[in-house]
Amino acid sequence: MVTPNFFWTVCKSSFTVGLIGLTISDRVASIVPVRGFSMSPTFNPHESTSLGLFTDDHVLVEKRCLTDYKFSHGDVVVFCSPSSYKEKHIKRITAMPGDWISVPYSYDTVKIPEGHCWVEGDNPTNSMDSRSFGPIPLGLIRGRVTHILWPPQRVGKIDRKFPQSGLAF
Amino acid sequence: MGTKNILLNVFKKYLAIGLVGITVTDRYGGVCPIRGSSMSPTFNPSLESFTDDYVFLEKFCLDKYKFSHGDVVIFSDPTNYKERCVKRILAMEGDYISNVGGVVKVPEGHCWVEGDNSASSFDSRSFGPIPLGLIHGRVTHIVWPPQRIRKIDRRIPQEGLAM
Repeated sequence: MVTPNFFWTVCKSSFTVGLIGLTISDRVASIVPVRGFSMSPTFNPHESTSLGLFTDDHVLVEKRCLTDYKFSHGDVVVFCSPSSYKEKHIKRITAMPGDWISVPYSYDTVKIPEGHCWVEGDNPTNSMDSRSFGPIPLGLIRGRVTHILWPPQRVGKIDRKFPQSGLAF
Repeated sequence: MGTKNILLNVFKKYLAIGLVGITVTDRYGGVCPIRGSSMSPTFNPSLESFTDDYVFLEKFCLDKYKFSHGDVVIFSDPTNYKERCVKRILAMEGDYISNVGGVVKVPEGHCWVEGDNSASSFDSRSFGPIPLGLIHGRVTHIVWPPQRIRKIDRRIPQEGLAM
């Protein structure tokens, strides 16, 4: 009678741990790898070789901002791509609703509509961002990046960086 | 000592139930109330009952991303991300829709939503096509009040779509 009880207890414990992990990952914070170089040098500053997964930066994405809805200029956020909803991108918010942004390569200025934001990668030459798909609704944001957790030599906090170019008031 | 054990057991049971509830509501389905009359007569036909309709919202469609014409979906309002709206999908990516102001092609990854009550609905005719990433789930049934319990059908509209 000991073995079935023990087995049942182990099952219940792992189920509870799994549920707690799932809830924390959905609502509090999770860890995601960063692919690509659109955010160099903040993430993935070097061209990757064949090592791939081992050298990608892994970052902590916090989701408490989704309930409080406190986003601001300079936050690095994870959001669903507006043109391909199965994919997620990481970029920095450079303008919030009501700001004016000057579109590159033309003389237009765009006003960010209510409820939207303008996202750009830190590496403008290699980044598909709002300069291609326009401002994105804030409802697409899935979390905010706060720290780099891997590799160990790059562990650190991500700061808000206020961009100087591109904003026309 | 007996009381402490009992209390701890009860606490653990409620915690487990609460966690299961939260996970199921986040990932699989839940119930929510409908406010407003932009979807009359499908939801809240004005004079029939005292309370708002409560509907069952399923989230399995989010994993497989299987939305189609005629689905009633709940999504974040693109103009005010703190609020959610419920409307029907009239057109998917690649379709053409005739709006005041011309024919609009729905871009990739977007859909066009409209309320069943055109006169009193703030929808894609005002804020344009919405990205599919804003959708939180699909409405399948009305679950309250009891006399209005029924399945929500897909209704393909005939007017408005120019193919």
